Amino acid sequence: MPRANLNLDKPTPLELENLRWIIITSENADEVFKKLEEQGIDPVLWGLTDKDFELLAKNFAQIRNQLKITNDLLDKYKKYYETDVNDTNTKK
Amino acid sequence: MFGSLKIAMVAILITGIAGAGMYVMKLRSDNAILKANQLKLESAVADQKTLIENQKKDFEDILDANNKMNELVSVLKKDLDDLDKRFNKKNRDVGKLAIAKTESIERITNGASALATRCIEIASGSPLTEKEKNATKKSEINSECPSIANPNYVPY
Repeated sequence: MPRANLNLDKPTPLELENLRWIIITSENADEVFKKLEEQGIDPVLWGLTDKDFELLAKNFAQIRNQLKITNDLLDKYKKYYETDVNDTNTKK
Repeated sequence: MFGSLKIAMVAILITGIAGAGMYVMKLRSDNAILKANQLKLESAVADQKTLIENQKKDFEDILDANNKMNELVSVLKKDLDDLDKRFNKKNRDVGKLAIAKTESIERITNGASALATRCIEIASGSPLTEKEKNATKKSEINSECPSIANPNYVPY
């Protein structure tokens, strides 16, 4: 007798917040902090060098790729072992 | 004596007829068994054919899944290579560019960041919008991950 399908729901897709990058140079630093204060934002920033920013972008791209591969792999397993799986990758 | 011979002949005849009758009945019985065996064999052959067909389909599905996964890995790698090129194309120095054109680079960075954020949502299983699905021009695509965000875009 075949085993019952596992039929776990897929994880809910992420809905991420957009964040704002601020570029500070030695020339515009005073102006940037002044603007932050005017907007009621604490005049403090977490900084990255241009090289580290590049690495961060690449790290995120790699995480994204791995997420996509894992997600597609899960779909393929479900499709193969649970034949009544519907394609949900479409939104109006 | 003639009477005894007659009786013996009749007895032989009756025995012969009875033997023939039993032989025919045995043949019928054997025939029924053979027919039943034939049915079982035909059923077994049909089961085997179905099994082989199912195995063939399974094999095709496995091959197809493998090919699609390999294609996906390949296009994702291309997206990653493109990102690297955007940072380093023709010895480009993003740091120096940011010093020279701070506002422009900030705007470009925020635009790209929003697109990259959307890429992660898509990779996590978020459905594509109609706009993303219908994008075919460079100006319409998500340049951070066209391979997963814009299925109808063909690079040109």
